[in-house]
Amino acid sequence: MFRRHERLRDSYDVVIIGGGGHGLAAAYYLARDHGVRNIAVIEKGYIGGGNTGRNTTIIRSNYLTPEGVQFYDESVRLWQDLSADFDLNLFYSTRGHFTLAHTDASMRTMRWRAEVNKHYGVKSEVVDAAYVKNALPMIDIECGGHAPVLGALYHAPGAIARHDAVAWGYGRGADQRGVEIHQETEVTGIDVEAGRIKGVRTTRGYISTSKVLCAVAGFTPRLLEMVGLRSPIYIHPLQAMVSEPIKPWLDPIIVSGSLHVYVSQTARGELVMGSTLDPYEVHQTRSTLDFTETLSAHMLDLFPFLSEVKIVRQWAGLADMTPDFAPIMGTTPIEGFYLDAGWGTWGFKATPVCGKTMSHTVATGRNHPLIAGFGLDRFARFELTGEKGAASVGH
Amino acid sequence: MMYRLPQREGEWIDRTRSLAFTFEGVRYEGFAGDTITSALSAAGVMILGRSFKYHRPRGILSFANHDVNAIFQVGPVPNVRGDVTPLADGMEVLAVNTVGGLQSDRAQWIDRLGRFLPVGFYYKAFNSKRFFPRWERLIRNLSGLGQISVDAPRLQTPKRYAFCDVLVIGGGVAGEAAARAAAATGAKVMLVDESTRVSAHSADGVDVLTSSYVAGVYADRWAAVIEPHRMTKVRAGAIVFATGAIEQPIAFHNNDLPGIVMAGAAQRLLQRHSIAVGRKVLVVTTHRAGYEAAVALLDAGLSIAHIVELNSTSVAPDLSSLLIQRGVKVVVGDAPIEAERNAEGCVAAVHFAGERIDCDAVLMSGGWAAAAQLLLQAGGKTAFDDAAQMHLPSELPAGCFVSGAINGLFNAEAACMEGRTAGRAAAEFASATVPPSGSSIIARSSSPVAPSPHRRQDPRGKDFIDFDEDLQVKDIENAIHEGFDSIELLKRYTTVGMGPSQGKHSNLNAARILAGKRGLSMDQVGLTTARPMYHPVPMKHLAGRGFTPERATPIAPRHSDAGAVWMLAGNWRRPEYYMREGESREQCIAGEVAVVRNSVGLIDVGTLGKIEVHGPDAGAFLDRAYAGRYSDLKVGMTRYGLLLDEAGTIVDDGVVARLHEESFYFTTTTGGSAGVYRDLLRLNALWGLNCSLVNVTGHRAAFNLAGPRSRDLLSAMTSVNLNDGAFPYLGVREGIVGAANARLLRVGFVGELGYEIHVPHSHAQRVWDGLVEQGRKFDLRLFGVEAQRVLRLEKGHFIIGQDTDGLTNPFEAQAGWAVRMQKPFFIGQRSLRLLERRGPRQLLVGFEIENAVPALKECHLAIDNGEIAGRVTSVTYSNTLGKTIGLAMIKPSLAVLGTKLTFRVTDGSTVTATVCPTPFFDHDNQRQKFGVAA
Amino acid sequence: MKQLRCPLNGVRPVSEFAYAGEVRDMPDPDACTDPQWADYVFNRSGVPGVKREWWCHIASGYWFIAERDTARDAVIDTYPVEKLREVHRA
Repeated sequence: MFRRHERLRDSYDVVIIGGGGHGLAAAYYLARDHGVRNIAVIEKGYIGGGNTGRNTTIIRSNYLTPEGVQFYDESVRLWQDLSADFDLNLFYSTRGHFTLAHTDASMRTMRWRAEVNKHYGVKSEVVDAAYVKNALPMIDIECGGHAPVLGALYHAPGAIARHDAVAWGYGRGADQRGVEIHQETEVTGIDVEAGRIKGVRTTRGYISTSKVLCAVAGFTPRLLEMVGLRSPIYIHPLQAMVSEPIKPWLDPIIVSGSLHVYVSQTARGELVMGSTLDPYEVHQTRSTLDFTETLSAHMLDLFPFLSEVKIVRQWAGLADMTPDFAPIMGTTPIEGFYLDAGWGTWGFKATPVCGKTMSHTVATGRNHPLIAGFGLDRFARFELTGEKGAASVGH
Repeated sequence: MMYRLPQREGEWIDRTRSLAFTFEGVRYEGFAGDTITSALSAAGVMILGRSFKYHRPRGILSFANHDVNAIFQVGPVPNVRGDVTPLADGMEVLAVNTVGGLQSDRAQWIDRLGRFLPVGFYYKAFNSKRFFPRWERLIRNLSGLGQISVDAPRLQTPKRYAFCDVLVIGGGVAGEAAARAAAATGAKVMLVDESTRVSAHSADGVDVLTSSYVAGVYADRWAAVIEPHRMTKVRAGAIVFATGAIEQPIAFHNNDLPGIVMAGAAQRLLQRHSIAVGRKVLVVTTHRAGYEAAVALLDAGLSIAHIVELNSTSVAPDLSSLLIQRGVKVVVGDAPIEAERNAEGCVAAVHFAGERIDCDAVLMSGGWAAAAQLLLQAGGKTAFDDAAQMHLPSELPAGCFVSGAINGLFNAEAACMEGRTAGRAAAEFASATVPPSGSSIIARSSSPVAPSPHRRQDPRGKDFIDFDEDLQVKDIENAIHEGFDSIELLKRYTTVGMGPSQGKHSNLNAARILAGKRGLSMDQVGLTTARPMYHPVPMKHLAGRGFTPERATPIAPRHSDAGAVWMLAGNWRRPEYYMREGESREQCIAGEVAVVRNSVGLIDVGTLGKIEVHGPDAGAFLDRAYAGRYSDLKVGMTRYGLLLDEAGTIVDDGVVARLHEESFYFTTTTGGSAGVYRDLLRLNALWGLNCSLVNVTGHRAAFNLAGPRSRDLLSAMTSVNLNDGAFPYLGVREGIVGAANARLLRVGFVGELGYEIHVPHSHAQRVWDGLVEQGRKFDLRLFGVEAQRVLRLEKGHFIIGQDTDGLTNPFEAQAGWAVRMQKPFFIGQRSLRLLERRGPRQLLVGFEIENAVPALKECHLAIDNGEIAGRVTSVTYSNTLGKTIGLAMIKPSLAVLGTKLTFRVTDGSTVTATVCPTPFFDHDNQRQKFGVAA
Repeated sequence: MKQLRCPLNGVRPVSEFAYAGEVRDMPDPDACTDPQWADYVFNRSGVPGVKREWWCHIASGYWFIAERDTARDAVIDTYPVEKLREVHRA
């Protein structure tokens, strides 16, 4: 499916740092749509080994800001045809997505999201508790009595996909178009001269290039330090866990912001579950017991009958966090240095649209219109993009 | 076929106690002390389940808590591991993953399609958008193992904390020696073992937990011990990992037939349950353990057909000659090619290069994998040892020790010695006042093992590497060929090691194949990350009783009595409104609003955060923390307080009261109280001003008595002079209300003459009851959060988090009046200077509509020229005013009085509103300042 | 669960603590430029390493400073805020 290249060449037109979904997608579209083929993707581990392979595979576009909704809507559109594009089954499965609301404050936020979504043609609607109960007869709508479900944001296009395969599909497609994927190769430095990218130092040798795309969510600050840029990105781990396979019983994706739960059932029958970020900065993918305790308790609030279902494994990834919960993308003060970062809870769902928009940005040197709201410079201008508004719930 | 032997010494079953159970509807009997699997085996039941992918008949493999193909449905409980689950009387046991029963599984056809289902098959087929949903339904329905019942109850499983000096994981020879040695030094020792029995016992001074396992070892030696009906979270001073090693299978065609088991499984069946694996046993081995098992079986009177060792020279010449003397045929340097099945589908013979050996049981012993998962979770490292053919501990984190088979020691005497050393060292580490840093010592003298070869002469048939996931040698090889040639990619593509046993019998062999194919060393190939859980853990254990903290004010019982309909506000429950017989929700709320406007109402506002700041710098502190100025506030007066973050965003608000020269009392929002208090403590610590903060949120109850008659009512109950002159609007007074020391704040949130009454928690109910009693004369009604929202909206007050969002600054919220930009410094000031220059991106405005518009709700959008121009943040129909009023956050160009706003409601239709001044009601605030004549 | 040594309360599990990020020096609000101020408000040092951080023992409301290696999640030292204060007063 991929070739191994014995050595790095002396120079490439574009060096993409990070062989995750985003980096490989950018390589794929650069080669396919922009005719740029002399590309090296540099990956310090194995492809898809970061957050591409650690997320809980949920795809949706029910965001709050116009920027977010339009961006993710384009991503959902691209997702639908990826399996055919790649000739590789990504198990892209439209399952419907319920974001449960347990307070009137979150019901208001759901309506806000629904209205913005509908404005841009995205299918989202606020539904009441009876609708939720009808769609999910097994749910404990009272949540054990302490956080009754008042309603939900129902987002019909919500989907899941086989996360690893996304990286493989883009990787194979890029490989077939001449892109070189160099795994087990670590970037040790980036040379900048007079505000321009000159080259990239790696554990396997020096590459000269004038364009670098940095797509290393979880490690972005380390790369930014190499080029002397500052950013608001800070790193917190995000954990997830998975159950033993059980026969299918849960069709849609269920999210509860108040209970900090998201869950879906895979084609293999496992329940994949996630929760909130870890509460402090750590650059390590260690697991914690309290994560599984809290998440299990909240899962049983919603689905008490899962008491005997067993957790097989827990894991963690490193999340690039930003103050406004929106990504940081596009051109930077350094000419030839492009950023695809700040993905918060990992950015899996944005993989195709990031590939599309970043390939455009790298090829033309100008930001793609869909990422105009995500620039690094927005912080200096105090013009944040407000996905956090959805999370702001007082009273 | 397996069968039960006559009573043997040391067996773990009690033959005097029969237990009846059913399996797939057929009645069987076992004994107390049996597991589900041993009881079925004793009854000669060989086929226990169907495999995950191909639905092949499967039986026992390891009999050591990773027999993933012999898991059962027991009533509502899915995926019960039969090899370790004690048999109980009356159990109704079913096989999992069958379509229409174990014997006639209608999904067996998948096995015959096997060669059309190569690794990665799923990725390569059915990827058309049109057909995938149908194909997916089929896969989904065939996937999964056990069945859940949505009617099963929420089980409450207790949790416990435990502390010990030394935690020993594993109660084998090494673990037992370690535990005894540690306990002998006086250390508090806990030993955990999966078996129902271990030799160590409490008499040795060791706290022994049997039938229990450590699911994970987390930071700072924090271990999750899963007992049958409880989780114990152990904080250990030191840990001895005596977790042993896991016997590995040997790959040959049909190595999954029922009757082919690990050598260790045969021994455990024999020793614990007196079960013979067969009448004619064949042993295939690469390790001494295979010979040892043969000796044990022979001693029990079983017949050993053959021993075949795969190595070219024997690893156990001593045992080999002993067995030959006892009449066993031993072959060295041959390997099994294919197992043959009988009519029942169980093993009947094994083909080797030279011969075909009849048998009804096969023991496999393909070497060992160290059970190092927990050690790795704790931060340890392993390296592959060529002599031992295992990954052995190479680096131990502080306070972690190893002994026994995990360290490559299979000799009981040596393991015992090593265990004692480890136990003493662990006790010493735990008792050291300053624990020594750096790694603990690893000493070992390992027993060599030969690698298990994977000979394949015939491309047909299936030689399994991973029994959870139905993966064959060729699956691994094909994946590597396709470029999935690192251990992590290989795992993700093939799913090797991803099943419920998490690769305990497959990861090592998969790594060997990868190393061989790529010409790398085992260390270059590495292993996938070991993560919790070591064995799967039921969610009931992790969830425990699932505490959800909930706060209640002291008035909560009164609210319930008065018909309160509750709503959640953070951790608090608050009355949304009070239900009245024969009235709708809307009527109830309207009635509550009306009584506040016309007479007097009472609301419990005890959920507000309440903080005191004392000291010479108290005023200076508030000046720096809040956007307003408080150092010049007169004693006995209050002022609105707006709290910002460093970016100038509105975070919280409340009322600040100056009680004395050096003493302030202030409120925060309900949701914000804990966070605001904590943030202020931090600022106080940072600034080092001479003042200190006290959070009295729980200590004080608070009520708002509001309405034109509030003064009349309160005056009968208080020592405080309530005359406007003595106690003006925005004043604060301390005095007696009822029999309680109270703080009275004359505030006007709802826009009427009113008093916030803050009293100690202990007096709250009596004061409340007194107010209600007095209120009878004035037709007092209790009002809830909804009525308060309407009342404050009529006054145009915003609610933080509803009318503002995570990016709103004071200028945008039209609260610039609450900000004193001239102060030397306050949090958010520098950002506000910048934001003031830049101008607002949005503005909060009041709007009105002449009629009632029930369809218009909060968060409906304002639309201007087809674009989003803002949103409704609050809206209500005001009975007081006879029109719809609301607040909207809109773009500045529309925030001009008299501008027509277009709101789009849920069904897509639009509503027109007019931007108007606020307050909507009593524009000059006469009522709250001076009251109105009743 | 990870443990942290609170200078006031001794060694406690990390669930008893709140974290408020790295200790950062505020530029002089009156002297600094807008970009310098924005840099202070928004930007963070996200690179792993030993950092001075704000931690609060929630139950006692006690704030202190921890020096922690964020790469290994290893606490090197904890001490009262007084140690820092002189710097910030200046």
